[in-house]
Amino acid sequence: MRLYVDTTKCSGCNACRVACSLSVFGETNPKKASLVIEPHFPAPGNYTVRVCTQCGDCAAVCPTEAIKQDAQGAYYVDFAECNLCEACVPECPEQVMFLRAELANTAWKCTSCGDCVAVCGTSALWLAEKEAVAA
Amino acid sequence: MNGYGGSILRVNLTTGQIKKEPTPADVARDYLGGRGFGIYYLLKEVPRGADPLGPENKMIISPGPLSGMLIPGGGKCDWTTKAPLTGGYAGSSMGGHFTAELKYAGLDSIILEGASQKPVYLFIDNDKIELRDAGEYWGKGSVTVEKMMKDKFGEEFQIAVIGPAGENMVSFAHINHDFGRQAGRGGVGAVLGSKKVKAVVVHGTKSVQVADMEAYRKAGMALYKACKDAEGLKEWTRYGTTIVTSWCNEVGALPTRNFSTGFFEGADGITGQTMRKKIVVTDKGCFGCPCPCGKYSKMNKYNSYVEGPEYETIGLFGSNLGIDDIEAVAQANLLCDDLGIDTITTGNVIGWAMECYEKGIFTKADTGGLELKFGNIEATFKMIEMISRKEGLGALLAEGVKRASKEIGRGSEKFAIHVKGMEQSAYETHNATAMLLAYMTCDVGAHHNRAWAITYDLQVGREKVTPEKVARVIWLQNFRPMFDVLGACRLQWVELGIDRDLYVPALEAITGIHRSWEDLDKVGDRIWNLTRLFWARENEGFGRTWDMPSPRFSEEPPKTGATKGQITSLENINLLLDMYYEQRGWDANGLPTPETLEKLRIPNEQFA
Amino acid sequence: MSAKFRLSGSLKDVTGGKDEYTIESGRTVRETLVSLGIEPLTVALVTVNKLHESKDYVIRDGDNILVMAVVGGG
Repeated sequence: MRLYVDTTKCSGCNACRVACSLSVFGETNPKKASLVIEPHFPAPGNYTVRVCTQCGDCAAVCPTEAIKQDAQGAYYVDFAECNLCEACVPECPEQVMFLRAELANTAWKCTSCGDCVAVCGTSALWLAEKEAVAA
Repeated sequence: MNGYGGSILRVNLTTGQIKKEPTPADVARDYLGGRGFGIYYLLKEVPRGADPLGPENKMIISPGPLSGMLIPGGGKCDWTTKAPLTGGYAGSSMGGHFTAELKYAGLDSIILEGASQKPVYLFIDNDKIELRDAGEYWGKGSVTVEKMMKDKFGEEFQIAVIGPAGENMVSFAHINHDFGRQAGRGGVGAVLGSKKVKAVVVHGTKSVQVADMEAYRKAGMALYKACKDAEGLKEWTRYGTTIVTSWCNEVGALPTRNFSTGFFEGADGITGQTMRKKIVVTDKGCFGCPCPCGKYSKMNKYNSYVEGPEYETIGLFGSNLGIDDIEAVAQANLLCDDLGIDTITTGNVIGWAMECYEKGIFTKADTGGLELKFGNIEATFKMIEMISRKEGLGALLAEGVKRASKEIGRGSEKFAIHVKGMEQSAYETHNATAMLLAYMTCDVGAHHNRAWAITYDLQVGREKVTPEKVARVIWLQNFRPMFDVLGACRLQWVELGIDRDLYVPALEAITGIHRSWEDLDKVGDRIWNLTRLFWARENEGFGRTWDMPSPRFSEEPPKTGATKGQITSLENINLLLDMYYEQRGWDANGLPTPETLEKLRIPNEQFA
Repeated sequence: MSAKFRLSGSLKDVTGGKDEYTIESGRTVRETLVSLGIEPLTVALVTVNKLHESKDYVIRDGDNILVMAVVGGG
């Protein structure tokens, strides 16, 4: 399972990011969320959203094997194993691998928990099976 | 303290001193936050008789316990001060993302005191708090400055900024944020301008603590589910408040040509449906909101963009000025936003000026050659600029319609549509007695947000003058502004009809203190009386005469629309006030009685 | 012969909490509102099968009608 987003439906409210920080860290702090909302104002006046596709590129480069895969196929960071080396961050094709030492002493990423989907009022987000990628 | 940022930030613009003090637990308990903190500090710290534009006035900026949390619409910030427009209480609620950032920076209130000699902006990045030189920004428009600051500091920084109108201390200058949200009314922007504060910039990375994490997440998710399940969610999101426009025209509530009637023959050009088709590009929302009411628009004719117009701006710049072109209304909205003046007051004041021109009270000599007639779009744009810069006739209009009409005289006071010096917002009230009473008794002047009662009027009989109507207005006035106290938006409850009881477990889980809506209504009642007492303290002879509406509604019946030929008599206006004062526990002149003050635990010494 | 009639937002205050009705076809939306004790003037928006209609729309079998009050604004 992975997140999908129709970026044209995003209103910039950030409810998804509040729900996410609560899910991943147990804290109300949207800066610790695992998806990105980019506002484009005053022109053209819309938002772009980037979400994790659960591609696994981050896990492939992690030298401590801190990025693991759960039973549903979603990759997540085992906080205890992360050594903050930052190898994963540039690998992410969506730029949704996060490491900010002032916020947490671990990298973090989307776990496909779906809490963001539950609070998105415009139905911009949804969870679905990963699509097979052509070789 | 659970649910709170933790600190009150005091900034003395005269001395440059910046200090933090812990948020007092008893103030948080009794006043909760937002608008509650606003009136608490206003009464306590602004001396009687302070000049609203002088250094003794203060600006109190406050989020609430629901701000920045997993709560639908936890995005409201209160700005409280003594109002330059009216000389009374101003509490203005601003949406967007600013309030959440204050909580993440650990703040429950910012109190701006004194006045700076040179233009500055307040910069807050967690515990790094500085007053910085605003020279490169002073004189520039709000939209321009917000973009400059976002580019310089980063997207995570939230900006609240005044335009040139605020710098010029136009009495209804506003504060702009997030490219289209405002602290709009009463001249809050002028207070910042008088202190030479161009902007407040905030960034915070702290988490907000809660009393019961599991209960909080459960209650928050339940609130979001209720919003997502609401029947009207899609339609409301599609139109926001513009959904009301054609309906108002149908029922004779759409203010037209300076509130002379409630029916506009050109209304089709400015309805929500027309607007959606012609100019809307994005549904834009405030922090945490599942039903974004903001309609971000692109105006091809002017090569520009604006968040809006929402219903008020459509009413006051569209029908009220005889303009039936939604793109022009949107452009007027942008000009007001960027230059920094309240669209409601500005549309109302220009409507008054247009009526003066059409009656020959103003001539082209007064208007600098402008043909200031109803329907003239170019003249409207020019007038917005002249008001912002206090140029020509703009200098007079910048005083607001009460002072302007007093100065001009010649019968123009009779069609100055205001209460207590604040211009009436976009509901025409020749015959809608609960709504009229709401305007008369609203605590900032003729604004609709405390008690929106016009549907109720139509449901029970618009002309009726009954104790039930009065009770309804009071119930709304105690309840609706509680959202401003809690730091969240009321529109999820108002527009989607979600059960207000869903907020109770959320508030308790966040703060650790159980409060029912009965408890909260008591807080609302208390705050209502405190803001009333502030008006009385600051205005000699304050009382019933200050609650009177424009004589237009009792003397000049509309000639068109659903309210053709209808008025509300002066006798009924006074009867409404008699009943209102009685139910509020106020005397015949509209002042809280000693018994009421005692019941509400309000000590008398604050008002000596 | 029936259709589904739903009320949104605070309209259910007027009907004492019930917000979904099975109603007869053949009448207008306006007439149905009146029969439920709702003043038609308080209804801002009518959608039938997700399309906008006026209050004079004549209800047909199987229609799914949603009426929205004006409750807020500004």
